[in-house]
Amino acid sequence: MAEPATDLTFDSAALLASEEHEVTIVGRSPWYLAWRRLRRNYLALASLGLFFVIVIACALAPVYAHHVAHTGPNDVHVGEKVRVDGKLKDVIGGGSFYDVNTGKFVVKAPTYLGPTWWHAHGRFVLGTDNLGRDVAVRVLYGGRNSLMIGIGSALICTFVALTLALLAGYYRGGCDWLISRFFDIIWAFPVLLLAIAISSALAINGFHHFGINIEPGSLWLPTLVISYVLIPYIGRPIRGQILSLREKEFIEAAIGQGAGPLRVMFSDLLPNVVSTVLVFFTLIIAANILTEAGLSYLGAGVRLPDPSWGNLIASGQDQIETAPWLSLIPGIAIVLTVLSLNIFGDGLRDALDPRAKVRIER
Amino acid sequence: MMVAAYGVAANKSSSAPNKAYKKVGTLRAVLDTIDFLDPQQAYTGQSWWAMWNVYETLLTYKHVDGPAGYQLVPGLAQSMPKISSNGRVYKFTLRPGLKYSNGKKVQASDFKWAIKRGFLATGQGVGFYTDIAGAKAFAAHPTKGGNISGIVVNNKKRTITVKLTKPRGDFLTILALLFAAPVPGSTSTQILNGKIPGTGPYRFSSFDANRGFTMVRNKYFKPTKYIPRGNPDKVDVSFVSDANSATQRVINGQADYSNGAIPPDRIANAKSKGHLVLRDAANTYYFWMNTREAPFNKLKVRQAVNYAIDRSALNRIVWGGLGRATQNVLPPTYPSYTKLKLYSHNVSKAKQLINQAGAKGAKVTVWTRQVSDAIDAAQYYTSVLNNIGLDAKLNILPRATYYSTIGNVATHAQTGWARWLEDYPHPLDWFDVLLNGNRITNTDNNNYAWYSSAKTNKEIEGLKKAQVLTPAVNKRWATVEKQIMQQAPWAPWSNRVFPEFFSKKMGCIHIQRLYGVDLMRLCRK
Repeated sequence: MAEPATDLTFDSAALLASEEHEVTIVGRSPWYLAWRRLRRNYLALASLGLFFVIVIACALAPVYAHHVAHTGPNDVHVGEKVRVDGKLKDVIGGGSFYDVNTGKFVVKAPTYLGPTWWHAHGRFVLGTDNLGRDVAVRVLYGGRNSLMIGIGSALICTFVALTLALLAGYYRGGCDWLISRFFDIIWAFPVLLLAIAISSALAINGFHHFGINIEPGSLWLPTLVISYVLIPYIGRPIRGQILSLREKEFIEAAIGQGAGPLRVMFSDLLPNVVSTVLVFFTLIIAANILTEAGLSYLGAGVRLPDPSWGNLIASGQDQIETAPWLSLIPGIAIVLTVLSLNIFGDGLRDALDPRAKVRIER
Repeated sequence: MMVAAYGVAANKSSSAPNKAYKKVGTLRAVLDTIDFLDPQQAYTGQSWWAMWNVYETLLTYKHVDGPAGYQLVPGLAQSMPKISSNGRVYKFTLRPGLKYSNGKKVQASDFKWAIKRGFLATGQGVGFYTDIAGAKAFAAHPTKGGNISGIVVNNKKRTITVKLTKPRGDFLTILALLFAAPVPGSTSTQILNGKIPGTGPYRFSSFDANRGFTMVRNKYFKPTKYIPRGNPDKVDVSFVSDANSATQRVINGQADYSNGAIPPDRIANAKSKGHLVLRDAANTYYFWMNTREAPFNKLKVRQAVNYAIDRSALNRIVWGGLGRATQNVLPPTYPSYTKLKLYSHNVSKAKQLINQAGAKGAKVTVWTRQVSDAIDAAQYYTSVLNNIGLDAKLNILPRATYYSTIGNVATHAQTGWARWLEDYPHPLDWFDVLLNGNRITNTDNNNYAWYSSAKTNKEIEGLKKAQVLTPAVNKRWATVEKQIMQQAPWAPWSNRVFPEFFSKKMGCIHIQRLYGVDLMRLCRK
């Protein structure tokens, strides 16, 4: 015997509640519920705030350079002096020299101006590097480059990965096989090695194919390289989710009612994975910033003399004993940015789907 | 702050080689890198530093300090060669009883095989030997059975006759290069790092491309007047690419010697914890400007760059001041050297020249290689070019591909960093290789400025015939140098001195001008 159909709906539940308990149940969207959960997570919100502060500070790098530090990120100040607390100090002092009178070298270690902490009217606030450049200006410009690459590559990477995942999940069969093998090929290489190999290949002449012209040294190169090598890290898990959703009744029903592939993909499948995508997007920005730092540290990312946090760490390495701030400051900037994004990403995941286990595994 | 006064070791007065054998036991050395340990292939100072003690050439250099280290002396040859009056035929006789480290007898034909092997294996030094009669034809179709007609050998009489197509004043120094070290006739043309027997005081007993190599005594070696028996019984060489780690190894007592470039800000500290010796090797660091590419096809732009560079500041930035500012092509260790003072540091004048040349805002790509000192220098250079009104950006290439890329005509490289360390002590090694327009090639070109002047080309060709560097010849070289620098294809900026770092236990530290630290004469205190 068939069971009687229940008449209990949201509306009837609300009616019952108002009749029996004199309370009103208001329908809440999943986004509202997620926001309610997120706003109770103070650590995640504080992290988001910190990330915005870093982004705004880096975005204002040209303003700081022009109006406060009065120097550009690549301007060399060798042989100059700066007044710190009323005293004139060499930007770069000491160093060995050849004494023509004695015919001998006098061996002395060079000294670099350390952080002046606003005692030099905004100049060299975080000190100078071995070329006499303003570290604060370079850290801000470096952050701008690192963030632009991190966010830009996350956008491209997420868009491409999502598109491929939708195609593979919806069409399945040969299309899925082809896209999955594409993911596998990229997945087979260690991220950094693959990125270095592609960056090195493009270092001399840039990229000039398919109507796309990117000159060597352009920020687009590391952006595209990073977005390319990380595609399967987003694409594969989303493809899995879409394959699973594709088997659900509501998809079959939509297809049965005559919905075309685009309609099913964008109206039925996409809304069901968008929360996962959002979390991935947040986390992948952090991963991309780290990848960019690694690439630039190894000389395959942002091209010197343009700064990035990664190449600033590498450049400061030789002076780590006498001028540790050169590597420490960009290092701290990376830690704060990545940490803030990861904490916020975790919070966002908990808010959107507390049961989900979304993680970028590399 | 530690301050110490140092005389450059190579400038010390010449001292006689230690005749007394001093026990060292095992010497533990640290090198940053090498390329090969095969005489027909190796072309780095580090490789030659070790191989000079393993492979002997017909002529060699004395184991002494100072300028006398540049003097050619018989090595495997019994005496200095007889040279024909037209300067084209050289006759040598090998010393009797010579044996390789595997006990086999050295034959005169082994010299011929070494030159042929270089061509067959496309060795890095073959370009030096193309003036031998028949060498170009052999190079065009190299086969094992092929012949270089200009090398005639007689194994019974131990004689070697070398005939040139045209006289070459630097040919004796070219024969002293390790590329021409005889190897057994059975040696294959494959690269055989550390496996080819030599005739020197040591032989290679092990080689690991990632870790290092070991040298032990060659029991078949007999000391000569010019080639002494070495002090160490064994030399263990480790590769450590990071200069900080290499320095720390010596400080910790894990190594006796490191040739790694000590970071400038560690140098005073290192000095207090070991022996720091400054080696005055013949080198010039320079920025080249491609005279075929805009905007450097204009003389005023090239001169502007020369005026704009603060050479002293650049030396301080890049290696903490351990270099002499220079405007010369030749290093000061050469008798042909005459100090040039054509371009005093003057940024205003540089800007003026750029405006006059109509080059303001011209786009320029500065090329350099992925090595920290080259990057620092090129960053400074890029900043200077931007400061005088050009629109410069930097392009950094991997170390391994840098020179072949900028030396390729298709790259159209405008300007960049380069250095030259002498192969052999003769002005031809500088002007002929680096600035003779007649030697420009479309690939692997060493004349990165693509500089060619009919006048200087002719003078260089004429000077090739001079067999001896007399004061008059030296004066002519100085004139050539001045003519070139007035055209400013280069902006030379440094003659670097190299810090060599030893543990406190080491003594008898001697610097051979061409090959650097003389490991054979090192001893323990």
